[in-house]
Amino acid sequence: MKNKLKFLVGQSLKKKVKTKWFVIANVIILIAIAALINIDHVINLFGGDFNELQKVYVIDNTSNSYDVFLKQLKMIEGEKTSYEIIKYDKQVEDAKKEINDGNEPFIFIFDNSSNTIDVTFISKGYVDLKNYQVLYNAINNTKVELAIISSSVTQEELNKIYSPVNIKREYIDKSKSSKEENSNMMMSTIFPVIILPFFMLTIFLVQMIGAEVNDEKSTRGMEIIISNVSPKVHFFSKVIAGNLFVLIQGALLFVYGGIGLLIRKLLSNNSSKLNLGIDIDISKFLSQSIIDKLIYIIPITLILMVLTFIAYGVLAGVLASMTTNTEDFQQLQTPIIIISLAGYYLAMMSNVFEGAIIIRVLSYFPLISAILSPSLLLLGQIGIIDMVISIVIMILTNYIFIKYGLKIYKEGILNYTSKHLWKKMWRAVKN
Amino acid sequence: MLKVDHVTKYYDKLKAVDDLSFTVEPGEIFGLLGVNGAGKTTTFRMIMGLLDDYSGSITLDDKKIDYDVTDTIGFLTEERSLLTKLTVKEQCIYYGTLKNMSKDKIISRMKYLLDIFEIPDYEDKKIKELSKGNQQKIQFITSILNEPKLLILDEPFSGLDPINVELFKSVIEKLSKKGSIIIFSSHRMEHVELFCKKLVILVKGKTVLSGSVDKIKSDYRKKNIIVKGDISIDELKSMKGVIDVIDKNTEYEIKIEDETYVESVFKKIKNYKNITKFILEEPSLNEIFIEKVGESYEK
Repeated sequence: MKNKLKFLVGQSLKKKVKTKWFVIANVIILIAIAALINIDHVINLFGGDFNELQKVYVIDNTSNSYDVFLKQLKMIEGEKTSYEIIKYDKQVEDAKKEINDGNEPFIFIFDNSSNTIDVTFISKGYVDLKNYQVLYNAINNTKVELAIISSSVTQEELNKIYSPVNIKREYIDKSKSSKEENSNMMMSTIFPVIILPFFMLTIFLVQMIGAEVNDEKSTRGMEIIISNVSPKVHFFSKVIAGNLFVLIQGALLFVYGGIGLLIRKLLSNNSSKLNLGIDIDISKFLSQSIIDKLIYIIPITLILMVLTFIAYGVLAGVLASMTTNTEDFQQLQTPIIIISLAGYYLAMMSNVFEGAIIIRVLSYFPLISAILSPSLLLLGQIGIIDMVISIVIMILTNYIFIKYGLKIYKEGILNYTSKHLWKKMWRAVKN
Repeated sequence: MLKVDHVTKYYDKLKAVDDLSFTVEPGEIFGLLGVNGAGKTTTFRMIMGLLDDYSGSITLDDKKIDYDVTDTIGFLTEERSLLTKLTVKEQCIYYGTLKNMSKDKIISRMKYLLDIFEIPDYEDKKIKELSKGNQQKIQFITSILNEPKLLILDEPFSGLDPINVELFKSVIEKLSKKGSIIIFSSHRMEHVELFCKKLVILVKGKTVLSGSVDKIKSDYRKKNIIVKGDISIDELKSMKGVIDVIDKNTEYEIKIEDETYVESVFKKIKNYKNITKFILEEPSLNEIFIEKVGESYEK
C-alpha cells in the first residue's frame, strides 16, 4: 500500500509538473518577478528622459521671494534636485509663449498682497501629485520664512526654527533599540510582499487538488482507483502531492526572486535617476537583532505555513469529493479563497491598527494564522509563545479536519448526485 | 469460489439489496440481471469492497475481499472509468501499478491485448482521442491486465459493434476457460443466454429468480411453438392452452400455457396446408424476465 501511495503521489505531481503549461506559466512568473524587482530599469529601457530637470520660471514681483523659494526647495529636495529654477525677468506673456513653443516650464508669479505673498501657478496642463506637493510645500515654507523675517527674527533664531528636531528615543524595555524599531517599521512594510506568494500558493494548492479529485470523479476513474487503494491512501496521496507541488513552486518563486535581485545587482552600475527605493543591501535596514529574530521566525513560520497548506489541502480534497463537477467545486472553493484573502489583508492592516484585539485573536485562527501571526511577531505585537499556540491550534485543526474529513471523503468520492448531499455528509461524519 | 451470503444493504431507509445469496465457481460465468435501480451496481460495489456497511458476507476463496485481495480482481464499470487526458500506455501503467504489477509486465501484457483487440498502434494515443468503441476496448484491457481471478463486467458490450462484441466474447470465454470467476451484467439478453451458466434476477434488491439458465428455462411452464405454413391465427387463438399467436413474417410463434398442450396444437396444425416447420422451443430469457419483472430488460 505504501508503494501505491508513492505511485499516486508521483502520478499527481507528474500530471501537474511535467506539462508544457507548468513550464510556460513558470517562465511567465520568472519574467514578471524579475521585471517587478527591476521595474525602474524596465521603465528606463522603454525610454523617457528621466534625467531632464523640470524648468520652473519664477517671476518675482516681491523682490525677496525668489531666493527664499530657492532655499526652501533645496531643503525639501536635498542635493538631487529635479527642478531647474530660473528667475524670469521678462513678461508673463513671454513665459506663456514659451509653453506654447514646446517647452513646458512651470511659471510661478510671486506677488505682494496685504503683508503676505500670493502665488500664481501656470502650467500647460495638469500637474502630477509629486510635483504639486513638493512645489506647494516649498511655496508655503517660503511664505512662513518671509513672515518670520518681517517679524524681525534674527538669522540665528531662524536657523534654530528650521533645524530638525533631535528626538532622543528611550525604552522602558531595555532589550529594545531605535535601530531595531526602524527595522521593524521597514519589515512591516515589506512583509506583506514576502507573504504574497503564500496566498498565491494556497490558491494553486486548492485548485490542483480540487481539479484532480473532480477529474477522477467525473470520469468514474475514481471507482477503479478506490477499488484498488483505500480512500484514505487516495486522500493522503492528493494532500501530499498538493503540498509537494506548492513547496516546489514556492522554492521556484524564491529562486526567481533571487534571479531578479541578481539581475538588479548586475544592472546597478548603470544607476538611473528613477530610483524607486528598492535596495538589495538588506543589511542597511536589518539590524543584527532582527537577523537573530529571523533565524527562529523563518523556521517557525515555515512550520505554520506547511501545517496550514496541509489544512487547505485536506479542505480542498473534502470539498472536491462532495461536488460532482468542476463548476460546483469552483463555487465551493470561493469561501476558502476569501478566508486566505482575509488573512492577507489583516496582515497588511496589522501595522495600522496596532494592538487591535480582533487582529490578535484572529492571529490564532486556523488558516489565517500562517499569514497573520508572523506579521504580528515581526511587529512585536505578539511573542514566540503566541506563534507556538497558533501551531498547536493548527495541529489540532488538522487532526479534526483529517478525522472527519476522511469520513466525508470516503462517502463523497463515490457519490454522484447532489440530492440530499448535506444529509449524506452529516450521516458520514456521525458514523 | 466467490460466495455472496445473505447480503443486505440499506441506503438510509431504502433496502437496496435484500438477502442476496449466490456462489460462483472458478471458470463459471454468472449473470446478475435487473432493471435500473435493482441493486446490481450496489452488489458489484460491495463485492469490490467499495461499500462495507452491509450485513451478510462476501468472500473470495473463503477470504473477505479487502485491499489485500483486490489485486487479483478485475472490474469493468458500466460507465467509462478512464482518465481521458492520459495515453493508452499511461492509463495501463496507472491501473496496472494499482494492481501491484511491474511496469515491464504491464507493457508486455498491454501489447499482447492491444494485438488481440486489433489496435496494436494505439499505445501512444490519448484516451480522449479514441472512439467510444475503442475506449471500451481500452477499459476492458485495463480490467484484465492482471489476468484476474475474479472479473466483474458491468455492461461490457456497451458501445460495441457486432464484430467487436464477438471479439470480447472470445476473450471472456478464454478467461473463463483459464479458471477466472466472471460476473456479468448486460442489457442484451442474448449475450446473457449465450454466456451465463447461472444467473440471479433482482427486482428492487430482492431475488426473484436464481439458478442455472437451463433449469430456469426448463422449469418455466410456458413454451413457444414455431410454425411455418398456411395456418389460421384466429382458429389457433381460440384453442384451449394457447395464449397468443404472433405473426413473424415468414413463420408464426404460438405461445402455449405448458407442454401438455403441444399435442393438441400439433394435431390442429397438421390439418393445415404447406406446413414445413414445427418446433417446440424454450421461451427466451427475455420472456421469462418480462414475466418476472413486469417489464423488458432489453434497452
